[in-house]
Amino acid sequence: MSTTSQKHRDFVAEPMGEKPVTTLSGIGQVLGKKLEEQGFDKAYLVLGQFLLLRKDGELFTEWLKDASGANTRNAASCCQCLREWCDAFL
Amino acid sequence: MPVFVEDPAQFSKPRLKSELIAHNVTLPAAESKKHVYMELYSKCIGLKSAADFSSDEEDVQESQDCEEREKDPEMIDPCGLTDDELKATLLQYGVEAGPIVGTTRSLYERKLQRLMELAGGRRHSETENADRYSYSEDELEDDQDSEQGRAETVSLVADKQHVDSDIQVPIKDVLMEMFPETKPTPTGIAATRRRPIKGAAGRPVHFKYPDLPASPMAQQRHAVERHMVPLWVQILVFLILGCLLYVIYASMENRLDNPFVTLLDNLSVVTERETKGMSLQA
Repeated sequence: MSTTSQKHRDFVAEPMGEKPVTTLSGIGQVLGKKLEEQGFDKAYLVLGQFLLLRKDGELFTEWLKDASGANTRNAASCCQCLREWCDAFL
Repeated sequence: MPVFVEDPAQFSKPRLKSELIAHNVTLPAAESKKHVYMELYSKCIGLKSAADFSSDEEDVQESQDCEEREKDPEMIDPCGLTDDELKATLLQYGVEAGPIVGTTRSLYERKLQRLMELAGGRRHSETENADRYSYSEDELEDDQDSEQGRAETVSLVADKQHVDSDIQVPIKDVLMEMFPETKPTPTGIAATRRRPIKGAAGRPVHFKYPDLPASPMAQQRHAVERHMVPLWVQILVFLILGCLLYVIYASMENRLDNPFVTLLDNLSVVTERETKGMSLQA
């Protein structure tokens, strides 16, 4: 991905703290709601899942697509966002 | 095919949830009780699984012999494995799985399923090839084929049983025999450098002489030479050291009898004498 959205840059710029799941790049209101229904209401919970899958982008996007109904682009965007966050802060 | 059906009552709630999600079933409200999930599960997936299994695999492997598939031990149901077994089996396919918990298990199960299908497809295409090259289609040949297949399956079953202790797979491919150092990939597609065939198409035949026994003197000399620094390096170091010493010496000499210092000394002596002489005259 050559260009990144403002949301992506905002998320990657600082520790996530208690940010809600919708602050993740690629997760909008609708997907965020679906994730919240399954208990993933904070961004760090999604990060947890990402880490559980060993930061494997393929598996994570698959999970995100299943869990929230995201499309491939959104899931890849979220994955990229988390990966960069990990590179910066983990 | 013996379909392994688990009792949904044994599942935890998150497990049921993930199963439902995995089967594209819309979840009930977030705070519903377990039995709601269970009902949904048995309704949607219990019905589906039987049909799912047969249809799904026939789609992929329609041309394959059904009997052979049923005996195929690699098509074990990933849902029936324990977490440890699932992890070990994934490792066997070259996938390092993370911790297998409620939210990740279904993903790893599906990954394993995919890998198995790929591996199964590869193996079956190989047996197909073997069939094609066998020129007679009579009973004897078929028997032999199935015998081979059975032997293979037996070895694989044995493998599965001590999969926890070691992950070494016996060489079962012609390709793996030819290229033992290449890692088996889940897709079965590996890019390897093509090796020149010695002696073929006019290429010279190279005979290898591995480790000719050398005389003990030669071995000693080799051992000594290994420890020695080359001669020109020694000379160079010696010269550098010499130059350094000379420079130090020269600088010390210069400081001691610097012409200017001596000149100044002489001058001061002369002026002193002159002043003394003048004072005496006075």
